[in-house]
Amino acid sequence: MLGRRGPAAPDVHGPDLRGSAGHVLRAAGVGKKIDEAVLLLPTDVELAATECVVLRGPNGSGKTTLLRILAGTLSPSEGEATLDGSHVDERHESTRTAIAALIGAPATYRDLTLVDHLVLIDSTWGRVGQHADDHADEILELLEIDHLAERFPHELSSGQQQLFHLAMVLVRPSSILVLDEPEQRLDPDKRDLLTRILLDRKTDGSGLLIACHDPAMTGALADTVVDIQSA
Amino acid sequence: MTGADKQRLRQVRAAILGDRPDTSRNDTLYPVYVAVIGAGAYGIPAAQQLFRSLDGKWLAAHAWTPVGAIVVVSVAALLLALVPMVGRVHGPVVPPLPYLELVVASPMPRKVTLARNWRLSLGGSIIGGLLVGAVGGGGLAIAKVAPPVALLPATAAGGLFGVLVAELWLQGQMHASPLGLRPESLLPRGRRNALALLDITGLKRQAASNATIGGAVLAGDLRTVRLDAARPATHARHVRLRASGPLVVIARRDLLGLRRAPWSALYGLGFAAAGSAGLMLSLQSPRTPTVAPLVSLIVAYLGFGALCEGLRLHADNSGTSRLLGLAYRDTALAHLVVPMSAWALSALIVNAGLSLAGLVRPAAFVWALGAGALLAGSHLMASFRGLPPIGVFGPRAGVPAMVFWYAKPLLATLVVGTATTAWAARIAAPWVAFSWLLVLTAGVVTWGLVLVDKRDRRS
Repeated sequence: MLGRRGPAAPDVHGPDLRGSAGHVLRAAGVGKKIDEAVLLLPTDVELAATECVVLRGPNGSGKTTLLRILAGTLSPSEGEATLDGSHVDERHESTRTAIAALIGAPATYRDLTLVDHLVLIDSTWGRVGQHADDHADEILELLEIDHLAERFPHELSSGQQQLFHLAMVLVRPSSILVLDEPEQRLDPDKRDLLTRILLDRKTDGSGLLIACHDPAMTGALADTVVDIQSA
Repeated sequence: MTGADKQRLRQVRAAILGDRPDTSRNDTLYPVYVAVIGAGAYGIPAAQQLFRSLDGKWLAAHAWTPVGAIVVVSVAALLLALVPMVGRVHGPVVPPLPYLELVVASPMPRKVTLARNWRLSLGGSIIGGLLVGAVGGGGLAIAKVAPPVALLPATAAGGLFGVLVAELWLQGQMHASPLGLRPESLLPRGRRNALALLDITGLKRQAASNATIGGAVLAGDLRTVRLDAARPATHARHVRLRASGPLVVIARRDLLGLRRAPWSALYGLGFAAAGSAGLMLSLQSPRTPTVAPLVSLIVAYLGFGALCEGLRLHADNSGTSRLLGLAYRDTALAHLVVPMSAWALSALIVNAGLSLAGLVRPAAFVWALGAGALLAGSHLMASFRGLPPIGVFGPRAGVPAMVFWYAKPLLATLVVGTATTAWAARIAAPWVAFSWLLVLTAGVVTWGLVLVDKRDRRS
């Protein structure tokens, strides 16, 4: 279970992780154009704690663009994206603290193993000592890649890479998970596993904003489905 | 190679060429022509000038002694030892990807399909060796370090060196094969059949890398070249990164990275020690030539840079999803802790040794620390400079503009470090020069931080 913690009190050993903040992420008429090219038609989305919003739509409809805007890494050309009423901007610490995003492959260090990456990320978010080690092991075990702990990223298959990238996002504290097609390159068993993990996160209080092409995952996770129309 | 194989290869080449004329002979001979002209017009005058400036009489007295021979053979052996390493990354037999996919992957014998590429590399190595030998021999003769007859053995030795380079280059490429070099009964025997041991996966990887590196060089993207040429880490995988505070864990990450790249760490520490020693020795006498701190700073820059891999990786990672809980600039500064500490430690040890030998004053260590801060600033600049501006590729700019753009961090180090060190050695109150070193270093560090913030805003 992801929510399991080390024995010590979180206040002493690092920040408590997620779920309690109750953030609201909102896109109001958000659209994106570059010159004459329309990447995303104006769209409304609202996400609260313990909710899951799934974005659906054909390739090129602008799902990833909307995720980027709501993760604060891209500014919209119309409409407004807000987190608790404030402009979403990844450069603000409050945005980074609340939102953990997996949109494209995250950067990895070629000289660190999988478990090293998780310890590094967790330490920079304030978890120290044995708790970070245990937490890293827990996350790897949760995603059933604990046997790969001492591999370097270049030694993984594409499906294992995807699970590792998910581990890097899940290991850090957050209130909102923004995931772009997290099911890609995963086999059916691993998709089921990921669905269970995400349901647990939702139950623990996280908000989930996911672009997904898997009907089973969508059915199991979604409270709201937003169909993005092609431009 | 059978006649039928040759005939099939001719048909393949004809199919590839289509209606176009075969210009391969001219394409091969033209670089040779340019190299011969360049060696004659520039190489020999430069070589004789170099031998004269190095004290021709001293060279003439020592070059033909057993010690001189040992030095020459040792240098040649060292260079030859590096050649297989080059072959592992980029071997002598790297045809274009389409040729690999469509011709080399076919059932035709590989010693036939790859022979042309090997002959080109072998010929290039031999001609290059002959030219280097001729330039060296000619320079020695004109500088009167050796009699004119030395030109012949020097040229022959150069040619032999070229043959050895080509063979070791091919050996390096063969050893990089992911299939290994286990003897297979199906493979034909014989030295020439080394080409048959080159596997398609390794060939395609080198060809793809060749295209990537070639494109990156043309685009002035040294970062891509560095990442493509780097060997993946595999050492010390069982050592775990220890969790700690946000800043300390970054430093621990860098230490672990150096542990997993031991040659880089050794090279960095060795060059840092040599560079700091040269800098501290340069301070001791006003008669020290200015070139001494200049060379010392180049060595120190290279050594410090080898210890900065974590900083460069942080810069490489910009633009992707951020997962670390530290601010971008703070992470960059935390990545300087290990190289600065390693520099300070090596300088301290060198200073202790040289002080005990009476060659430098203990206070010279403070100067080395100031130089370390300068190196930290220049490596911030180097790591976060990004890609060259479009203007560098303009018709009026050209290669010198790009070289200057890339060399700015090194130039900043050399100008500030050389000027202040040479000045400090010549004045009675070196603390004045040290104050200027600190002021100018603050400027270089600020420049580096501006580039960090710029990258942060763009990513």
